[in-house]
Amino acid sequence: MSLILKNLGRKVNHSWIIHKLNLKVDKGECLALLGPSGCGKSSTLRLIAGLDKPDEGSILIGGEDVTNISPVKRKVGMVFQSYALFPHLSVAANLSLGLKVRGVSEVEQKKRVFAILELMKLEKFAIRLPAQLSGGQRQRVALARALLRDPLIYLLDEPMSNLDAQLREDLRPEIRTLILGGNKPVIYVTHDQHEAMAMANKIAILNEGVLEQVGTPKELYENPSSLFVAKFIGRPQINIIEERKEELKCIRPEDIKFKSNGLRAKLEYKEWLGSEQLILFKTSKGSIKMLCKGSDEIPEDAYIGWAQDKEHYFNKKTGYRVNKLLKY
Amino acid sequence: MISLLLIPASLLIFLVFGMPLIRYVWLSFHASSVITGLIPIPNNGGNWIRLINDLRFWQDTIQTIRFSFVSVTIEIVLALFIALILDQSCKGRGVVRSLTLLPWALPTTIMALGWRWIFNTPYGPIDQLLNHLNIGSLNILSSPNLTWIATVIADVWKTTPFVALILLAGLQTIPEDLYEAFRLEGGTPIQALTKITIPLLKPYIFLGILFRMAQAFGVFDLIQVMTGGGPASSTESIAMYAYINAMRFLDFGYSATVMLGGFILLIISSFTCFILVYHSTNVQEKITS
Repeated sequence: MSLILKNLGRKVNHSWIIHKLNLKVDKGECLALLGPSGCGKSSTLRLIAGLDKPDEGSILIGGEDVTNISPVKRKVGMVFQSYALFPHLSVAANLSLGLKVRGVSEVEQKKRVFAILELMKLEKFAIRLPAQLSGGQRQRVALARALLRDPLIYLLDEPMSNLDAQLREDLRPEIRTLILGGNKPVIYVTHDQHEAMAMANKIAILNEGVLEQVGTPKELYENPSSLFVAKFIGRPQINIIEERKEELKCIRPEDIKFKSNGLRAKLEYKEWLGSEQLILFKTSKGSIKMLCKGSDEIPEDAYIGWAQDKEHYFNKKTGYRVNKLLKY
Repeated sequence: MISLLLIPASLLIFLVFGMPLIRYVWLSFHASSVITGLIPIPNNGGNWIRLINDLRFWQDTIQTIRFSFVSVTIEIVLALFIALILDQSCKGRGVVRSLTLLPWALPTTIMALGWRWIFNTPYGPIDQLLNHLNIGSLNILSSPNLTWIATVIADVWKTTPFVALILLAGLQTIPEDLYEAFRLEGGTPIQALTKITIPLLKPYIFLGILFRMAQAFGVFDLIQVMTGGGPASSTESIAMYAYINAMRFLDFGYSATVMLGGFILLIISSFTCFILVYHSTNVQEKITS
């Protein structure tokens, strides 16, 4: 069972919001669709779910073309960003509504809802209304509903963007074991690179509806195929040290080191972040960010440099990578 | 201290609303007519005893309730359909929405005159049509069993847009992704209507009922212009009866009693609606959260 997107495209007001998108997600694999807002990642998810129709290309689930099949028959388990829980129904009723409309018998409904409530540790909240739950509990109900659907694929649309940072971290392992352990393709939409790297085996970076790069988080970090990917993955953002006519030379802040015979740098400011600190140096080649240990002493005047094999080169006009793949 | 700031507003409300009401109550315990030379003389609740035994008042009450109940019910059902249509996104939606509201924006007297003409025998279009179909004239505005239906039709025509507007506002508070989630679960559009839209629209439906009941109970202008309460008082409302007592019979004491009687009935019916609204407001809170 795998999900394949072939040449997928969608037009809104005569312009492509998704164009020529090709992706493959195997069973048990979690693909994160990552990109800035408006890059088409949620639209892609809606196309896969069948909520919107593509203007081009096709969608295959388990080898079967589902492009023109209704959303119900695609059997997708979707978690909405807003959770989309029915506000007038209790948690148990929220979960059983889908079963009811699909004609599952009442006894079976009760059995399955109870089992999922137990699995998600939501038994106590069965008769509560969504408004009486905390954000994290609502999110769990939304997950429970997706699990209960027993879908062929999981679609998660920024499932944790409404939660605070602490709760997000707490929920990550739970989502991973529940959904990623299901041996089904999972698509996870997010604009948070940390979340994408933590959750996904593969990340696809979208930029204005076009796929920039797809690969493991490590591949994307070490060998970004374009300047856009290089800027999007890795915090703090990659340094652009403009040098040659047609190319941009970029070095990640964490690859910058103190070097006695290096570039002369004047300390502009520093952010102490605990285990590490972010330093901004002013040099003859512009401002350069550097990431070093929190315990390091930072002199006002320093000499900095980097290893040659940590240099990334991108074409100035197209933004594509120019130099060979780096080995970290 | 803040409560001091409420005094001007409370005073204004008391002067324009409280004072007349108190005056009405006071007047309803006095005989004040041409016979007394329009001087109020206490009559020990004689007006109220007369009201309880006044068959015309009870007939008007039944007619007012019949008018209110039938027209509000039809309005809610029709308005729900109209609101569902207006909620669809399509080209020229703004124009259609404004056009739909037009009957409501029209002054009642003007539209009532129009409807009187439509139901006119033998020149009105409905009579003409019935004649063409060889059914023959129904004498709609002169048969006591039919005239009230004509007033209901006119009222429905005028006020359905108002209810539709309230329901449309309610529909727009329902997030689109609820429908999408339901669709993914396998729900049909009809099931979406009965299992999501109507339950979530409940507070707005009750709000519409409350507003419309209060208005329909005090109906005056529409009936005055369309039928004048006739034929044979068959369309007369409580408000009209109070008006007749004051302006035709110059019996202000009894008119005040009739008005208060109607007011009490209105409070009872509105209160019933309010309890229903109260029980569904918690649903509304859930939508907004």
